[in-house]
Parts: sequence; C-alpha cells; structure tokens
Amino acid sequence: MMLLPCPWCGPRNATEFRYVGEAGPRPDPASATPEEWRRFLYVHANPCGPVRETWYHRAGCRRYLAVERDTATNEVRSAVDSATGVAR
Amino acid sequence: MSEAPISRSPVRPGTATVRDGWEVDARIAAGQLTLSDETPLAKVHVRAPFDRASRAALGVGFGRTARADLGTGEVLVIGSGPGEWLLLGAPGTAGALRAAVEQRLAGTGEFTTVLDLTHGRALVRLTGREAATVLAGVCAIDFSDAVTPDGTALRTSLAAVVTDIARDDRSGVPSYLLHVERSSGQYLADALLDAGRPSGLEVTALRGIA
Amino acid sequence: MSLLPTTRRGGRGADAPVPMRLGPRPGEVIDRRRTLPFTFNGDPYTAHPGDTIASALAAAGVRLLSRSYKYHRPRGLLTADYLDPGAFFQVGDEPNVRGAHRLVEAGMEVSSQNTWPSLRFDVKAVNQLAGPFLATGFYYKTFIKPEPLWPLYEKVLRRFVHAGAITPDPGGAFYDHRFAHPDVVVAGGGPAGMAAAVAAARAGASVMLVEENHDLGGHLRFGDAADLAALAELRAQVAGETGIEVLTDSVVTGRYDDNWVGIAQRNLPGVTERLVKARARTLVVAPGLIERPYVFGGNDLPGVMLSTAARRLINLYAVRPGQRAVVMTANPEGDAGVADLEEAGVEVAAVLDARRQQGVVRAHGRGGLRTVETTDRRRIEADLLVTATGWTAPTSLLNQSGDRPVYDRRSARFVPDPARMPENVLAAGEIVGDATVAEIVEHADAVGREAARRARRDTTAVTVPELRPDPHPELFSAGTGGFVDFCEDVSAKDITTAVAEGYDSVELVKRYTTVTMGPTQGKLETVNAVALVAAATGRSIAETGTTTWRPVYAPVTLGALAGRPHEPVRYSPMQPWHERHGATPLVAGQWIRPEHYGDPAAEVRAVRTGVGIIDVTPIGKLDLQGPDVPELLNLLYVNKWSRLGIGRVRYGVMCADDGVVLDDGVTGRLGEDHYLMSTTSSGAATVWEWVENWLQTAHPDWRVHVTPVTTAYASINIAGPRSRELLSRLTDVDLSAEEFGYMHVREGSVAGVEDCVLWRIGFTGELSYEIHVPAGYGLHVWEQLMSTGADLGVTPFGVEAQRILRLEKGHFIVGQDTDGLSQGFTAGIDGLIKLDKDDFVGLPELRWQRERDTHPRLVGLRPVDGSIVPPEASQILDRSGGIAGRVTSSRMSPTLGRSIGLGQIDRELAEIGNHVTVRLPDGRDITVEVTEHVHVDPEGARQRV
Repeated sequence: MMLLPCPWCGPRNATEFRYVGEAGPRPDPASATPEEWRRFLYVHANPCGPVRETWYHRAGCRRYLAVERDTATNEVRSAVDSATGVAR
Repeated sequence: MSEAPISRSPVRPGTATVRDGWEVDARIAAGQLTLSDETPLAKVHVRAPFDRASRAALGVGFGRTARADLGTGEVLVIGSGPGEWLLLGAPGTAGALRAAVEQRLAGTGEFTTVLDLTHGRALVRLTGREAATVLAGVCAIDFSDAVTPDGTALRTSLAAVVTDIARDDRSGVPSYLLHVERSSGQYLADALLDAGRPSGLEVTALRGIA
Repeated sequence: MSLLPTTRRGGRGADAPVPMRLGPRPGEVIDRRRTLPFTFNGDPYTAHPGDTIASALAAAGVRLLSRSYKYHRPRGLLTADYLDPGAFFQVGDEPNVRGAHRLVEAGMEVSSQNTWPSLRFDVKAVNQLAGPFLATGFYYKTFIKPEPLWPLYEKVLRRFVHAGAITPDPGGAFYDHRFAHPDVVVAGGGPAGMAAAVAAARAGASVMLVEENHDLGGHLRFGDAADLAALAELRAQVAGETGIEVLTDSVVTGRYDDNWVGIAQRNLPGVTERLVKARARTLVVAPGLIERPYVFGGNDLPGVMLSTAARRLINLYAVRPGQRAVVMTANPEGDAGVADLEEAGVEVAAVLDARRQQGVVRAHGRGGLRTVETTDRRRIEADLLVTATGWTAPTSLLNQSGDRPVYDRRSARFVPDPARMPENVLAAGEIVGDATVAEIVEHADAVGREAARRARRDTTAVTVPELRPDPHPELFSAGTGGFVDFCEDVSAKDITTAVAEGYDSVELVKRYTTVTMGPTQGKLETVNAVALVAAATGRSIAETGTTTWRPVYAPVTLGALAGRPHEPVRYSPMQPWHERHGATPLVAGQWIRPEHYGDPAAEVRAVRTGVGIIDVTPIGKLDLQGPDVPELLNLLYVNKWSRLGIGRVRYGVMCADDGVVLDDGVTGRLGEDHYLMSTTSSGAATVWEWVENWLQTAHPDWRVHVTPVTTAYASINIAGPRSRELLSRLTDVDLSAEEFGYMHVREGSVAGVEDCVLWRIGFTGELSYEIHVPAGYGLHVWEQLMSTGADLGVTPFGVEAQRILRLEKGHFIVGQDTDGLSQGFTAGIDGLIKLDKDDFVGLPELRWQRERDTHPRLVGLRPVDGSIVPPEASQILDRSGGIAGRVTSSRMSPTLGRSIGLGQIDRELAEIGNHVTVRLPDGRDITVEVTEHVHVDPEGARQRV
C-alpha cells in the first residue's frame, strides 16, 4: 500500500485518505457556458505522469491537501495544506 | 425533578456503580494489561489558529500533549489536530474548564471556538507493557518509543474507526488514551478487548488523568 | 520380476510397505523418543515429532501419496518440501495441506485428495485413456455447447478437480492481523538470510527474519558436517541478537508500494494463520534457489525425485528414499546427493553425469518407477531416480519491486538485474550467485549492513562483494514427453501443441495450457515451460522471456487476508432500552436502529392520535460557529440564509455542483454567531467533509468553525397532538404556540438535564418537538418521557413508522426518492431554489435544468385499487409501454387505509390527476393516479397548532 506524506501527520497509508480528484478552478457560475462547466465537472486530464490532485486526510488531520503526484510511479512530489499552505 | 439524572457511558459496564454522576465499571483488574473506560472525564474541545497566540496560551501544538492547570485541577491538553485541541479534566469539571479556557483565549483576540464535548466522545485508556502489542493488531501506526514516545498525539484509523490516540504513560508504563465518536465507543472497547485477549487484557475501573 | 521389494503400493497385506527409517543422522529433525499416531486414508501410521506427513509416510514405505489433477496419475514425492506437488492432503477439515511441510500431530486424520473411490483404485485414472477429452486448452475447447448443459458440466468437472473439501464451521481457531514496522525484513532464513539479519541487527537495525520452513538454515540443514557446523554457528549468532525477530513457518507473500511487505505466519498457538503487514524500510530478498525438475517421459512416476528431495529425506528425516537408485547429476549438489544415498544404504546402480552428456531418456513403470532408460541406451532397474539438473532463482519479490530478471545462458537460470532494483530492496545469497558457504555469508553480511544503512539513512555505503552464478549446463527436457507442470498436469506435448496452435508467447501459453497456474505457481516449472516454448518457436530463452511473478508468492488463506472482523457498528444511548423492549434492529449504514417495536401501523396511529417518541440520534448534527456562517449556508444550500433570526429554524436542501441533490435538513440559529445544522443520518459524514472542503479549499478566509456533534446529543422526536402536553411536563422551556412557534429553536432543560436543544419541526406532519440532550443522559430522558407520558399513551415508534408518517406527509428522502441523477427541480423543491442568488453550489446546472424544463418530476402516487402496494422500484409505463419512471416510495397508509406512494415520472405524464400504468415485478399492470406529494393534511394545519 502506498504511503502519502501528509504535511501534518507524516507518511500514512493511502487508505486513511479520501481521493478527491484532480484539482482545477471552479468556473465563474455567472458567466460559465455549459461546455466550460461540464468540462470542469467531468473532463479530467488523467495523465500518466505528474498531476495536481486534492486528497482529504479523513482519518488523520482532517485537512484537504494539494498533492502533486506522478501517476506512473506514485512518487509524491509535494503535499501541502490547501488552506494554510503548510508543507512538511 | 426529584433526583439528579445519571449519565451513562457508551461502553456498558460489567459491574455498574455510580461515581460523580456517571455510571461506571467497578471492576478492578488483577493483571498488568488493562482497559479502562474514561468517558466520564471532562472533555473540552478548542478550535483556534494552529500557530499563533492561542497555541502559546494552550502550551502545546498538534501532535503533542501537555499537562496544565487552568484553575479547575489538573488537565491534559492534547494537540489533537492542526488548530484543534482537546482538554481532559476530572469528571464534573467541564463547565468550569470551558469557561477557564474561553477566558484564557479571549486575551488572544483570535477567532476561537470552545465546546464541551464530554458527551460527544467515548474515551478509553489502554495501559500496560504490552499495550503496543495490542494496538499492533488493529492499527497501522508504529507504536515504538522512537516514533511515538510518551506525549505523542495523533489521529488514525483503528479497527476501521477514526480514533484519536494520545500516549500518556503512567509511572513509566506505556498508556494510551483512545477516543472516538461516542456512538462507536462500545465497538472500540470490544475491538480492543478482542485484540488484547491473547495478551491477557482486562477491564479495570476509571483511572483518570491525574 | 523385479529384484526390488514391492514398496510402491500403499496398503497392507502380502506386499506391505517396507519400513525405510534409517538410524540416527547428525542433522535429523525428528525426536525419536516420542511417537505420534495418525491415520492416512483410514490406516494407522506413526511419526516422530518433527516428521512431516510425507516424511512419516515415506518412513513407513508409502510411496504413492496422491493422484494428479487432470489425469489422476499416481504421484509420490518430488521435492519433499513445501512445494511438493505430489503431497497435497486433506487433514481433518482442512483441504490442500502441504503434506511435505505440515508436521504430524497426534491423532491427525490425513487423506488423499482427488481420489475416488480410493487412492490405489482410482476410477478417474481412465482420464489417462481419454486423452482427447482433456486436450491442450481443454477448458476452452470442450463443454462449450450446448449451453443449457453447463450446470452438469460444472458438476462433472468439480468431481475431477484438484481440491479438498472445506467445512462451513471454522471451529475455535481464528485468523489474525498484525502491523509491524521493522527497519529490515529479510525474506529467507538460509545462510544468506541469517547472515544478513545478524549484520543488520549488529548495525542497529530492527530486523524481521522470515523463513518458510520450521527451522532456520535453508540447505545447510541437509548438508554435510561442515554445513551443519556453519548452521550451528549462524543459528547461535541469530539467537544472540535481540534486534532480530524470527518468524518460522512463515512466508513473505508479496512486496507492494513503499515496501509494504505481506507475511503469512502459520505457527502461532490458537491462530490458524496471521497476516503480518510490515512496513519495511529495507527488504532483503534471500530466498536461495529452487531445484528444477527435468522433463522426460515418466518423470512423474513415484520414485522419481529431485536431489534435494532425496537429501532432505535422508538427512532431515532419516528416511531412505529408495532401495536402488539411478542418479542424473549436473552439479556438485547432485554429486553430494550420490554420497548421501550411498551413506543411507541405497544401492546406486548408475550415476549419469550430465556434464559429460550422460542422462535420462525415459522412466518406466506402472504406479511406480521400475526401469530407467539412459542416453547410452541402457535400461536400468531402479525404484529411485534422482535428478540434479539445475536451479531456478525465485525472483518473485524482486519482480514485484520493479526488477526484470534476465536469462543468463552461462548458468542456465534467470538472474536479478541489480540496476533495476529500488533503493529499498536488496538481494543476498544464491539468488545473486553461487559460492562457498563462507563467501555467501560474507556477501550477505555486507548486504545486511547496507540494508541497515539504508534503513537508518546513514551516509557511507557498504561495499558488497560480487557474487556470480557458476556455469551450469542448460538442461530442461530430454525430448521424450513428460510433465512440465505437475500440479496442473501440463505435459511437454501440451506446450508444443499450444505453440503449434499459434500461442507463441509464453504469457499466452500459460493461460491456454494453465502451466505455472497451479499451487506451485511456477516455482518448479516456469523455466522449463519457457525453454519448451523457446525450442518450439525457434527463439532463445532470453528472447522468449519469462512470465510475470505476481503476488502472492505462496497461498494465503482468505481468513488471514480478512483478519479479525472489523465492521464498525454505532449505537445510540437508548439502545439498551430498545433491546429490552423488543425492537427489531435495522442496520442503517453503521447504525443499529429500531425498525419497529412489533406493529409499525399501530405506532403510526399512536402518533396521529396521541403521542409517540422516536430515537433519531443518528441524524447528523454540525455545530457551526463564526461570523461567516451565513455566507457558508448561502453557498451550500439552494435557498437563502442571510436573514435567519436567532431562535429560528429553516429547512434547506444542498446540491452538488452538478445540480444533483446531495442532502437536506434543518439548521437553527442558536446565537449571534452560533448555528446547529442537521443532516440526513446517512449523509452526516459526507456533509461534514463537504462543508470542510468548501471552507478549506475555496474559502479559507471565512471565519467558521465546524464541529460534528452528531453523537454528542441523543436526539428524540416527540410527535403527535399530545406531544406538547408530554414535553411540557419535563421542560422549563415555554412550549406555548405563542412563545415557541413552528420552525423555532429553544435551549433549556429536559427531565433535569441542562443544555438541551429543542426545535419545533415536523417531519411526521404532526405537532412535534425534536429534542437534543447531552448523550450521556439520553437513556434517562427517554425513560422519563416514557414514564411521565404513560397516562397519555406515549408510544415508542421506529424507523418504519417514521417512513410511513413522512410518506403520508409527502416528504421525500434523499437517496430514496432522489438518485444520483436527480437534480434539484426533479425533487419538487422549486420554491426553495433561489436562482437569483449570486452563487450557490449547483447554481448553473439548476438554472439550465429549469430552462430545459424536460426533467422528470417527483409526484404523489395512489393506486386506483388502494389495497395494492406496488413494490418500490416498480416501473411506471408510458402509453407505448416504455419506461416513464418508477415508484420510489410505497406503503400502506394506516391513516388513510389505502396505499400511497411517491415516484419519479416523465414530465409528460406528471400532471396531477393523470392515470398511469405501473408494472409490478410479477408482470401485472395496475393503474395509479398521479397526485400532489402530500397525502395527509395538505394544509399543514396539524403541525402548526
């Protein structure tokens, strides 16, 4: 099982986290076209390589984390607290 | 109402008696590896900025515990999360402890929230030289002294339930305070007793934090 | 006839087996002072402590142990260790026991698997005469048509399949898990593993040393005097290191991400099997080598075995493996086997030195070996044929770490490629190369120190001496047929046939023939299979490559994977009362709730006419504090929250950004900056994470603290026309309609308990109060309500009555009357959704949904025949018989005396008063009228009194 290096709790089993998904900006609801909005909702890059994601440490610090992970190797290049920017 | 209401723990006692208004287990274990229901302890929950004046006022940050006295008797301050603390005090002191914490934090000018969660958490204490062996059956955390020494606070998954763990040794003997949402209390106690059966884990009466 | 004693038949009588136990051997593992009785196929046998089932049977002269999987051919010992494909037994209730590994216990009842009606007379051996029936790829070629006969085929196949019988009763034993965090895990307890473990421990590392056999030592255990001396020395060193935890009869089952290492541990008292989940900083792979069988006609006859098998029998168990032997040897270990055989009193009729192109062509016999045909055209009578034709490196754990083994033609085996191994995995010992024991120890010592260094992140790297495989002739097959995979009964001919049929890649051959897919999982047969594919395709072995070695390395019981049952359950503080009063439990997520107390319809009537109380503790409750809570509520709910006064409660619905309904509930304002939000019971955790998500990732500047208090309160709903009368007897809060109106919240005491929150809301449609009391007092308050309200006929009601009550009232349930596609307007909350807000979660999608106006509607339903209750999920049909919706909720209403429901229906059919057709699961069609949601008290007069 892979370890995710939580900036608050240290390396923890991935099962302690909820995978939220690829991180991307929410379009302005006032001006977004259906095309833009559904791209935001459903279309993800899903690359084989580095990707920016959100994870939630539900069984730990209960913080949302901005994670940069290489999907080919599971190497986590960075993991920081989404709200405070705290990194390990 | 005629008589004072009795408060009950989610962990059903084997031999019930009433102490400080709580129904508690009266059993005293003979062995050295014990599980005690500490749910009656006062539990005051604090939310505040994780790294500023409130942290200094509470004396400890995320991941560690400290002892303090805010005028309500000895309390254990647990840095239970980033910007999150749980203070444990003697049964019946929750109201006073909450007021004391609010007063202490008021001076910081920070946005803080203080809640009495005495009834929101089930709290047990696992004590004994083999305590870490019991935990290794149900929890993926490394409980060696090097990684989780006395005074460590962490939250993790234990027997598939999110559990707060604070190591709080008693006279040099490893001891762990474990707390979960109140409704999972009986399950937590049962899971620990099951995992501890090969090591001879026994139930004993409330020990407190003093 | 033969000169040999008849030892090949199991059984009694004229040709009874000849005892084969030798005098004491220096390295023997049996305790001759004690004798253990056991039975094999009902016959009594004895063993000494330390004997495996197979060694005890071999000592008694039993050579025929089992029948093979597909052709039911007679089989005896091949490897005499854990892998032995000829020694799978049923032991008591336990199937598939590794008989050459499992130690005999007194009273054990052992039987052959796969034999019918008996081991010696096996009806299914006719399979041998029915070759075409079981041709290569027979699973794919036969039993395909006619399809209706498949159940029959399954039954027939099942009788022929290689497996024992399992019992549904697990008995007293249990399975266990353990988490461990060693610095170094050493996989393999032979000389290299022991030396690496000692070196790592001496360097300060905590070490877990894992050995498949019952004792440490690997091949030293059955070696010569020098080997035994080295073994004693290494064992003493291991025992002297407190930093080493030794796990014998245990096996590393796999290596996963970040050095998560699974270990199956089998020798614990009272524990059938334990799965150790070790997070190793460094993994040292030291499994040694596995001796490879040679492929030739008759190579599966009882009496044909590997040199290591013969040496194990002689030196560990003091068992003479035969009377008269032919030995084919290509290496020093085979030569040592010759010496051992002679010492054990076996007549060595011939030694065929493969290094000088001598070898076996075929073996002959029926039920056991009789003669050996050699390359120099001799036919030698023998009851034992020992082969030593090469080694396989079990690179499984290295492959799982990213290594791709490369074929080394010079040594005739696949070897690891150190360059492809990650930093936290090292290999030690013979898997790397061949050397003297002293050199192996020296190599492993350096690997162990390096493993400790990497685990402890010290800086100075240790220089590991080079270890190279010795040259070895390439010996795989004599070209005379024979078996490649003894477990799966895959022959050399099957492999060449598969290639001829076009399956020219080794991975395809594997799947087509099932070679390497049996219990030994390729450890004995992979390289031979690859060599045969290479020969048949005209490619080299290196070009052909090998199959992938996946986890698990050795079989693990499902029980060990499951471990102790950890299924969290949650209870309300009133659970003891519910149990005492005969509540039927309902499992709702993790919660155990009362479904009813015997008669849900009576419970409904009690609420409509008097007063009832229900335990609603699982309702999610979030304490919200801070000046920006209104901003948060405005963002998350579809309705407006800016002007909620203190002491007021409002209902709200949350949608996700796709407009789909996520949750609903009421939120009350307790103070200036203090709110209490309720959620559905099943949505409590989701909503909390949802709220935190928006706060942490989108609005970290908002000053809001969210604390879940779901179980800090015991929640009780008191409902019915007499609820005010009941509650007023116990609370200091003024319940008068003027002081405490509908959709208001108050704080006060109930039954002597302070700090209770009371809100006046109405899910049931009656006058009702939902009280939230500090959880420890929940049982007290519940009991007080029951005793104080006895004269009012207070009735406890369960989840079922509540469902009926809310359906009578037309309230939808998120997740029941809505689904993962139901956007806000589908749920019928049109009046609630405020599209004029600047933003809220789900806004654009709901705006578009409204504009399209093509969505299905949630409507009330009433079957014209009110005695019929259409099951939930019954389909609603359009005029042409297509699906136009479904019934989402359906009950008999005790209040109306007729069936009522809710359903989602296409817009075209949704007009009130329409009659639509509902198809029941039994195929009958009924007519149902479309109605408003509310079936009882549409004006809402009852709840506003």
